[in-house]
Amino acid sequence: MSQTVSKTPPPIAMDEKMKEIMTNYYIEAKTASDSGKRVAWITSGGPVEPLIAMDIIPVYPENHGAMIGASKMGGSLCEQAEAMGYSGDICSYARADIASAVTCGGPIGGLPRPDMLIACNNICGTVIKWYEVLARYYDAPLFIFDTPMCHTDYPEESKRYVQRQVHEYVSFLEQVTGRKLDQDKMEEVGRLSLEAQRLWQAVLDTATARPSPMTAFDGFYHLALIVTLRGTRVAVDYYRDLLAEMEDRVAKGIGAVPNERYRLMWDNLPIWYRLKWLSKKFAAHDAALVADTYNTAWCRSLRYIDENDFLGSMAEGYTRMYLNIGVDQMADTIIEMAEKYSVDGLVMHSNRSCKPYSFGQYDIQRMVRERLDIPCLIIESHMIDERSFSEAQTETRIDAFMELVEEKNQCKER
Amino acid sequence: MYAVGIDIGSITTKAAVIDDNGILGTRIISTGYNASEAGQRVFDELLRECSLKPSDIGAIISTGYGRNSVTFADKSLTEIICHGAGAHYLNPSVRAVVDVGGQDSKALLIDDKGKTKDFAMNDKCAAGTGRFLEVMARALEVDLDAFGALSLQSDTPCRISSICTVFAESEVISLISRGERREDIIAGIHESVAARVAALAHRVGVHPPLMMTGGVARNIGVVTALEKKLGMPVEVSSYAQVNGAIGAAVLALKN
Amino acid sequence: MHPATATEKGTFMNELDHFQEAAKNPEGYGKNLKASGRPVIGCLCSYAPEELIHAAGAHPMRLFGTKEAIVNADGHLQTYCCSLAKGVLENTLTGRLSFLDGAVFPHTCDTIQRLSDIWRLNTDYDFFADVVYPVKLNTQSALDYTVDIFERFKKNLESWSGQSLSEADLTRSIEIFNSIRDQLAEIYRMRSKDPACLSGSLLSSVVKGSMILDRDELPERLFRLRKEIEEGRYAVPGNERKKRLIVAGSLCDHPDFFSILEESDGVVVWDDLCTGSRYFDETVDIGVPPLEAIARRYVERRRPCPAKHLSNTARGEALAAMAEEHKASGVIFFLLKFCDPHAFDYPYLKEYLETRNVSVTLVEVENQLPPEGQLKTRLETFIHML
Repeated sequence: MSQTVSKTPPPIAMDEKMKEIMTNYYIEAKTASDSGKRVAWITSGGPVEPLIAMDIIPVYPENHGAMIGASKMGGSLCEQAEAMGYSGDICSYARADIASAVTCGGPIGGLPRPDMLIACNNICGTVIKWYEVLARYYDAPLFIFDTPMCHTDYPEESKRYVQRQVHEYVSFLEQVTGRKLDQDKMEEVGRLSLEAQRLWQAVLDTATARPSPMTAFDGFYHLALIVTLRGTRVAVDYYRDLLAEMEDRVAKGIGAVPNERYRLMWDNLPIWYRLKWLSKKFAAHDAALVADTYNTAWCRSLRYIDENDFLGSMAEGYTRMYLNIGVDQMADTIIEMAEKYSVDGLVMHSNRSCKPYSFGQYDIQRMVRERLDIPCLIIESHMIDERSFSEAQTETRIDAFMELVEEKNQCKER
Repeated sequence: MYAVGIDIGSITTKAAVIDDNGILGTRIISTGYNASEAGQRVFDELLRECSLKPSDIGAIISTGYGRNSVTFADKSLTEIICHGAGAHYLNPSVRAVVDVGGQDSKALLIDDKGKTKDFAMNDKCAAGTGRFLEVMARALEVDLDAFGALSLQSDTPCRISSICTVFAESEVISLISRGERREDIIAGIHESVAARVAALAHRVGVHPPLMMTGGVARNIGVVTALEKKLGMPVEVSSYAQVNGAIGAAVLALKN
Repeated sequence: MHPATATEKGTFMNELDHFQEAAKNPEGYGKNLKASGRPVIGCLCSYAPEELIHAAGAHPMRLFGTKEAIVNADGHLQTYCCSLAKGVLENTLTGRLSFLDGAVFPHTCDTIQRLSDIWRLNTDYDFFADVVYPVKLNTQSALDYTVDIFERFKKNLESWSGQSLSEADLTRSIEIFNSIRDQLAEIYRMRSKDPACLSGSLLSSVVKGSMILDRDELPERLFRLRKEIEEGRYAVPGNERKKRLIVAGSLCDHPDFFSILEESDGVVVWDDLCTGSRYFDETVDIGVPPLEAIARRYVERRRPCPAKHLSNTARGEALAAMAEEHKASGVIFFLLKFCDPHAFDYPYLKEYLETRNVSVTLVEVENQLPPEGQLKTRLETFIHML
């Protein structure tokens, strides 16, 4: 551990701005019925741009789930869902969200009632079942945007199928709203979405600097807009300012972790109710989590999208999302990132709430070890159900893992 | 006519004898290794205590895990049905029963005749059962019988967040090493049990009047925590632990 | 024992013995078939397009989990993975499936999707294919896409076997599988009419056996079996007086469950199981281009697997109709622990059925049944309540 007394880095100035934007966003969403706007609930990886272009307010149960988790209200909401008959083994976002829908519980008293539901299975099959529950509960129309899993490639037939669904999706929205999609506005929203994604990637790229100006934990916070407001000017402006702040930190040599000695990579969703604890725990070992697979999931498929034909190319972008590819491609992505950000170790969150993200981690771990020779740590939890977390067990594992990382680094130095 | 109910549980074996005028006697022994022997022994001891002969007994129903090892019983029924009948016998207005035993917890709804309408049981996990309390008593080195009284002395129960018995045990150990008061830890343990039992109770949709039965009902700490968690009064009869045997006897008498 | 059919060894067996033997030892059967020169392709679920595999000259064989201890699979799948995925992986990693030429993974749930990756990366069979079904079944584009993926699967098979698959081959296979489905449905109907004609555990081995036995011989076997059932050879008197129930879930590879249920005074008269009616529900139309006809069966069937979306209430409606048609007073949900699609549906199905006066209970299992004592307590109480 560090010998020199270090000063804590200044807080990220944009934190406040984020709070303000998100507060406004939720106020607007919760008062949608007063302003005559429609509300759509959509999955985090769902194609949101057509909604924005049609002036429909997108609301994300998953972002809501993250807020519930961060406010440590997940356990009690999950418990309520279990009382309704839901198994404690299913996704804790889904459990908490369903309970919150019924009881109006949680940090913001539940989400505004949906006029429609959009479920895209490029992140998991769970969302199909979860949104069926919501569709029955709210008696709201459900559109399923079906993105066939790309185990090894993106075959022609998938391309055709998803492309046809883009049209079905637009027709669905036009039918529910009784309005036509404005093509010019759609292209504008598409450009803004891509711009925000590029900026977000650039923000994350600043973490390649030593010391890193931000950690994945900071990313989990600043991620909110790329999930909820991509396709808007607000998100573009926000990430442009955030990027400037991060570049300034890099120029001044300000690190998110004082005395950054070790650089780590995180895999899977955050453990929302333990962000601060984990962040401190790693910082105490002079370790910064500089890269992760979760924050980058929202800009990974940029390469497949054509700026000048967003509607025509988004099918591929949304189908080839990080979670919708084979385990070997996931391992390649992790290895590529580990090299890009020069990491010394991999921390994998084995997330009982997310089977498509977690199953395969053991194989990925093996591939990473074979190709990179860095230590891997696995910690298990349910991302927002704090009742499934063992602090003592996790703490011991982290300490042991950091000993390995330190040892490896000493060997390298010698 | 006299009727006997015998309830062979995982830890204790209970028996009750009743006639048209009421309960004549009850008996609790430890089940031990041989369930069949325990059934015979509890029957013999009960009869001796009430000065009855086997020939005086008109009907016998066995219940509990060992119900099929009571060869001299006329019939066997599950403890869920018997707990419903027993609770109804002790208080006919009761419509919901929560039975927390050594390795199982159950919640059931009964109609105005004591017949089971719906039920839920815990899965194979020990959370929310007597076994959970036993494990915690061992970790705390406190006699389980003292748990109830001790927990009532707490005004700031510790939070035990883990559902898993193994994780919860390590949580309790770290609470001990952090120097938390024993009373507060025990109260926290009771709240954890109550939370699991309440989730089960909600799954069948319990409503008052509700009675708690089974060995754990003797623990005032759990009962109080459960009342708080369910937001309704929880009735406990002095016969809580032998309620299943009483129910079996009641059903035997009816037959 | 009645002399019924002559086996290769010249001893006489009941027709049912063939099914039971195959159900008890699928690997042994697969090994023998393979030794006779027939390629064997493992199938992960009831959505595997078996007609295509059969038409390509291979034997489609359903893969089940294992009741053996999980040792190797634990190095690939976490503790919160269902016992089916773990069991299948364990079987292949320990070499118990070495007779296979390969396997096909129809897209179902998140777990099987990852199992497909793990299988592909850790095994070394000649043949491997994902059949990435649509998850929604109610659009024209989903149907067209299904035809497309069958087209691709057909090409996979052709390039593996080196032979082209003709329309006539496909039609012949469709006819065989239609006969199998029709006859299994007929046996179910016989049993619904008279639950004493065959015990539940034997019926479960008939369905399981049908997923294992040589399909070319199977229509004949099922025909003989039906005759034997009609003769009363397997009669279990008393079953006709028991409470009529439906069992719903994914797979049930526990014949003991049906015995315990019958001891508890209940009898299953129909099911909604992946190892039950979902295997034989509805047949493939003849006279339509074969791939389209097969696609239609998968997309249009009224009782889909819960990992697929037909409508928000399709499963509730189907189960309520099933209970009514077969005069069942209760439904037992027999669910694998950690099976998300079924776990999500359970609360709604319970409510949906109970408001229609059908009682519901839940039994959660892993690769072993719950302790018999606890299981009996649940089942007896439930049946007593009806």
